[in-house]
Amino acid sequence: MGGTKTAGDMVMRMQLAKGMRIGEAKKYVADKLGVSVMDLSDMYVMMEVRERLGLGLMQPVADTPTGIEAKLNIAKVLGITINSVERFKKRAGLV
Amino acid sequence: MKTYFTRMGDASVTFMAEDEIRNDISDAVALAAKKGKIPPLTQEDMDHLFEIITMPGNIVGVNPGDEIVSTSDSQSDKLFLNTGLSLERTQQALVHERCFGADSIDLGFPDYNFKAAKPCAGTESLAAKNGLNQLIIPFLYAGMPNLGFYTKPDGPVENWAELLPDGKIEEALAAQEAAVDYAVHDMVYIAEKMYKIGMDGINMDTAGASGDADFLAALKACEAIRTKFPDMGVEMGMAGEYVLGMHGKLTYDGVRLAGLYPHKQVALAEKAGATIFGAVVNTNSNKSFAWNIARSCTFIKECSNVSNIPVHVNVGMGVGGIPMCEYLPSDVASRADKALVEICKIDGL
Amino acid sequence: MGKENIFEEAIQAILDCDDDRAFEIFDEAMAQKIDPVELLAKGYSAGMTEAGEQFVSGEIFLPELVFMTEIMKKVTEKVEATLDLGNTAKKGKMIIATVEGDVHDIGKGIVASLIKTNGIQVYDLGREVTVDTIIEKAEEYQVDIIGTSALLTTTMTEQRVLEEELRARGIRDKYKTIVGGAPVTQKWADRIGADAYCEDAMEAVKVVLELLEK
Repeated sequence: MGGTKTAGDMVMRMQLAKGMRIGEAKKYVADKLGVSVMDLSDMYVMMEVRERLGLGLMQPVADTPTGIEAKLNIAKVLGITINSVERFKKRAGLV
Repeated sequence: MKTYFTRMGDASVTFMAEDEIRNDISDAVALAAKKGKIPPLTQEDMDHLFEIITMPGNIVGVNPGDEIVSTSDSQSDKLFLNTGLSLERTQQALVHERCFGADSIDLGFPDYNFKAAKPCAGTESLAAKNGLNQLIIPFLYAGMPNLGFYTKPDGPVENWAELLPDGKIEEALAAQEAAVDYAVHDMVYIAEKMYKIGMDGINMDTAGASGDADFLAALKACEAIRTKFPDMGVEMGMAGEYVLGMHGKLTYDGVRLAGLYPHKQVALAEKAGATIFGAVVNTNSNKSFAWNIARSCTFIKECSNVSNIPVHVNVGMGVGGIPMCEYLPSDVASRADKALVEICKIDGL
Repeated sequence: MGKENIFEEAIQAILDCDDDRAFEIFDEAMAQKIDPVELLAKGYSAGMTEAGEQFVSGEIFLPELVFMTEIMKKVTEKVEATLDLGNTAKKGKMIIATVEGDVHDIGKGIVASLIKTNGIQVYDLGREVTVDTIIEKAEEYQVDIIGTSALLTTTMTEQRVLEEELRARGIRDKYKTIVGGAPVTQKWADRIGADAYCEDAMEAVKVVLELLEK
């Protein structure tokens, strides 16, 4: 689906964590991001969405969130718990 | 007579006429339906499949908006394994995220099975953490249950593949049952280590490779992992379309495992708590691509129909209609993908 | 019980894995002076053929097939004892091995089991077997056929090495060679000079019997 060029990573997260089938996973992510299901695969739309919400870019620039930083924002936007984010917060003394 | 460029199951190029392609499709569909005791593809499906196979152009694709996601099997080591490019696994994973557009990536031990990875779970956790800090895409830990590795001389139990031809049936069955317990222990051990470091999921790759006992080990391990760590995703990918009855009497949830096809395998995977099911249909090197993809679609369509969890079809070398060769030809690989998405309504590759 | 019924019962005893019944049928057949060779061919062997087909179609599995084979071995011994043949010569001898670098042996084990049910002596050398070992054992056991299995495109090249090595040692004509495994095709067998290719276990039995008749 295009990974972090689009919304592929987030749709994949909903499948892996919640066992959602593709249609349900796409709808969930689209609703949370405020875009259409078709937009999820569109890199033109998704680049702006990802930059605005700090969800990480496929070709990052220095001051945009990458790695764990982006996942922190993804967890917030999607309303889910991401294991690595929680572990990071605990190890960093943030919780 | 007009002929179409296509390939055989060993990837060699061939040219086939329309009726040859259509005959291969219908023969393969009928055979799969009979073997699996499942509905055949409809005439509409078979016509659509013919269109896909004979489409002009090298690479074909789905319509915009119909794209699906990808999982992988230990892909974070494949750049090195396949090309000799000496990159550390986290770097390889980042290449997949930032260059290839992967939707997820796996970390796998170089000796790709849970038994070998277990003593190195500590250093594997460190590699996992490095990846998790840098990656955005979901990161899974992958390995093969590979029950065969628990047999002597590599493991503690007798080798049932040697006992059976010698007629030592009871001993062979007992060895498999013992191996299941060892394998479940190792998979749960590694899953715990990975969960505590923050991994998004576990991928059990080629479940059933050593037969029904191997599949049972994966199911039991999945159930244990999902009970202990309910928010850890589990992907269960099969080894073949048919569970070999090396034991013959093993059951899970009252269902005999030997002889199961994908539509029955997925039901048990779901019962065990798997969140993604990796269906497999094996390629026959002697048959045409048309035959192989038609057969794959027949099995996978029914699997997808009955499943409540995502179905990610294995489309690597020798599976999912893809030819059995090291370099995947993009012409048939893209056609296989398109067919599986549009006819079988799968959730991932 | 008539002759045809006896043959049917013999077939069923095999398919039911009922060794007691198989021996009872044998005794009944001898009491009725039925030719033991005919009993073996039209009764028990026919049952094994049906068993092989059930195995391929997934109705029965490997342990059941092996158990049926054990019953078949025992009734065959009884028949041979009746004919006073002593140690009846096997139909032929075969070596089977998974090639060097390849650990896959499930398919090879199934082929070995099925071929044994047809009265052929099979020496299974296991997995990851070098060409040198295959040839050494072939010479030691004086086999008729060498069968190799490879599941990977990277290991199937060992099958070509075997052919080349047999020719280099001047002993290629002593043996018939068969190749099998998922990436292996008839085209590959032709290219490397193997005598035969088998797609599955049932075909392997057929091909082995044909090669032994040549």
